[in-house]
Amino acid sequence: MSVRALSTTALFLALAASLPSGALAVPPATPTGMRYQRTIYADSADVALKSPEGVACDDRGAVVIADTGNARLLTYRWKDGALEGGTQVKLAQLSYPVRVQIDSKGFVFALDRRARRIVKVDAKGEFAGFVEPQGASSPVTPSAFKLDASDNMYVLDVAAKRVLVLAPDARVTREIPLPKASGIIDVAVDSGGRIYIVDAVSAVVFSADKAATSFEPLSKSLKEQISFPGYLAADNRGRLYVVDQNGNAVVKLGVDGTFQGRELGIGWNDGFVYYPAQLCLNAGGDAFLADRNNNRVQVFAVSR
Amino acid sequence: MSSRALFLALVTVTLAAPRGAVAAEPTENLPRKAKPADAAAKSADATAKPKGAAAAKPGAAAAKPAKPATRTPASMTGTTSAQISAFKLKPGANGALCLECHGNFTERLAKPSVHTPVKARDCVACHNPHASGHGKLLAAEPSNVCATCHPDIVPKNPKSAHKPVAESRCVDCHDPHASGFKFNLVKGGNELCGSCHPAIAEPAAAAKHKHKPVEQGCVVCHQPHGSATGSALLKADVPGLCVGCHNVESPVLSKKHMGYPVKTARCTTCHDPHGSNAPSMLYTNVHPPVAKAMCSMCHEPANSATPLKTRQQGAALCRQCHAPRMAQMLDKNRVHQPVAEGQCLACHGPHASKEKGLLRANMVVACGACHADTIRRQDLSPTKHKPIKQGECTSCHDPHSSNAALNFVNGDMIELCGKCHDWQKHSTHPIGEAKKDPRNRNLTLACSSCHRAHGTDSKHLIPYPKTTALCTKCHEQYRR
Repeated sequence: MSVRALSTTALFLALAASLPSGALAVPPATPTGMRYQRTIYADSADVALKSPEGVACDDRGAVVIADTGNARLLTYRWKDGALEGGTQVKLAQLSYPVRVQIDSKGFVFALDRRARRIVKVDAKGEFAGFVEPQGASSPVTPSAFKLDASDNMYVLDVAAKRVLVLAPDARVTREIPLPKASGIIDVAVDSGGRIYIVDAVSAVVFSADKAATSFEPLSKSLKEQISFPGYLAADNRGRLYVVDQNGNAVVKLGVDGTFQGRELGIGWNDGFVYYPAQLCLNAGGDAFLADRNNNRVQVFAVSR
Repeated sequence: MSSRALFLALVTVTLAAPRGAVAAEPTENLPRKAKPADAAAKSADATAKPKGAAAAKPGAAAAKPAKPATRTPASMTGTTSAQISAFKLKPGANGALCLECHGNFTERLAKPSVHTPVKARDCVACHNPHASGHGKLLAAEPSNVCATCHPDIVPKNPKSAHKPVAESRCVDCHDPHASGFKFNLVKGGNELCGSCHPAIAEPAAAAKHKHKPVEQGCVVCHQPHGSATGSALLKADVPGLCVGCHNVESPVLSKKHMGYPVKTARCTTCHDPHGSNAPSMLYTNVHPPVAKAMCSMCHEPANSATPLKTRQQGAALCRQCHAPRMAQMLDKNRVHQPVAEGQCLACHGPHASKEKGLLRANMVVACGACHADTIRRQDLSPTKHKPIKQGECTSCHDPHSSNAALNFVNGDMIELCGKCHDWQKHSTHPIGEAKKDPRNRNLTLACSSCHRAHGTDSKHLIPYPKTTALCTKCHEQYRR
């Protein structure tokens, strides 16, 4: 038995030696949850991405990247694992795009972090106006936002310590005060209309049901699992994804706040991340991740 | 004698011996008499009865365990029954027997403050003379040894506890045998406290305006073990502690405070309780309106119904004077969240501070309040980055806003690191705009290609356990 085992080992080693170097290297990022598919490094003219902080996708195949360092948006089509396009949208009204969303009509909404305004861009890449919330109790300074399937907008306003819900015509329909926390960094909404926010300092996720007037913590601090949350996404299948900016990972949570796992890791090769920012999940199980300090956007397949 | 006979004899002796002689539980093998619960019962057998009525009231002793009285003066003159029962000592052969070998103790015993059991030659009160699972042949865990006689040294549910006490490091401050200082302290008075708290003790000693209680001793205001009522081991919280000595309603102090009712204010937001070089013991850095006694610039008038209320709330108040600076802060790509939230006081004190820029604390503490993960990474890192260790976060980051990611003061990483590591800019692994990173076509090589400034689990701030693992990420041909 031992002789047989030895010979098998020897055979394996001999085979390994005959392979080119790197063939036996651990494939990049093959964790069970998020499997690396491809990387977007440039636009259609092969101009490299620079510190992209935002990426949005929809179920019809639209992908929009906020190429923050180049002060532009890039639009792509994603179908069956193939990527097309890479058209640049550069607007005077959008000098520092950091977060993007696509609505049901194909409009792109981008948050300009410098101007602290949300810009609306039409399908042709033309400026279609600013989002001007109507009926808010005080001036609105957006720091993050999300859209739901009905194009309602959920705006995080940390300056006024609230989340505003805007109807598609920008009317404020709800204002929910933020809980006492040091660094609410992002807002998300699931298909049931439940709103989530995450505190970067304590790594606590809070939620507010459709009719709630306040946020309640989903769990205690997840600081042991998440170094510094930077982004929050709901996949509408009972799971939340928290992008751990400083921890260089994506953390999965149940909608009840339970920790369900940690994906990815620090690195510069494909499949690894370095200060990741926005994450977008589509219905087909693709996850687009703005890998900011690696100057790229990566696409992963998410196993459910 | 045959070995079988010897064994039987040993068994017989062992069975006949009192329980304590053979019990020797590894973690609780203090002589039975030292155990609180049955101290009274044991003392009932004592040949020399201890002071107190514990023996007469066993139940009471069990409820109020192990007062030092159970093993004190009586045993000073001879062997206690507990020692006899525990270790079968010969009459008169207690500490005296130990001193036959530990002769250097004679000198210690002549010191002004000798620990009561030592004075009583009751060495086995703390040590097991045969064997122990604990250092120094201690009869139990060091914390348990001390707590046997000093169980109430920290109040129940303390508001604050001294770290060495909480960590059972009693001997950090006390010599368990004898010392030249009261309470067996290893050093006298403030010198002892100053050995761990030099950042407080040294400026306090050199301060132009000294606080008298500090000179009298730290324990005038602080409880050395733990405080039931005050934070930072204070005997009471501020301002309660301060107003015990300072009548802030007196005409002199009232005038100094511009007539504002500071009786309920937190004195230590302006005054350094340990002494200062500034008049009135104000902290070194004083907010100009405070220094100019212009309290009403920010607060409602002293004679109003709400005199301590600020004229405006949050950043709006600060903007009255700092509008241009604040506008400049907001005119950047990335604004630090407290600034965006208008929470100036998250980092700054409004009145006075030890720290430059009126920071509430040094930057490790002030920045670490929100960025605990970053500070922790440095703490755990085998290689420390000096600016972080020294609390110089602003060497690399702008605390208000920046056009660069992570609020760097310079978006060019090589120039940023080169500010301190100038030599590495030109005498190092190839770096710079012309050097493509083989791992990623959109990156060029820079310091951060290999190092993480706040530390990693590995040496040299690299993100892999071995240097070769890092190098072969690019130099794949050398990968084994």
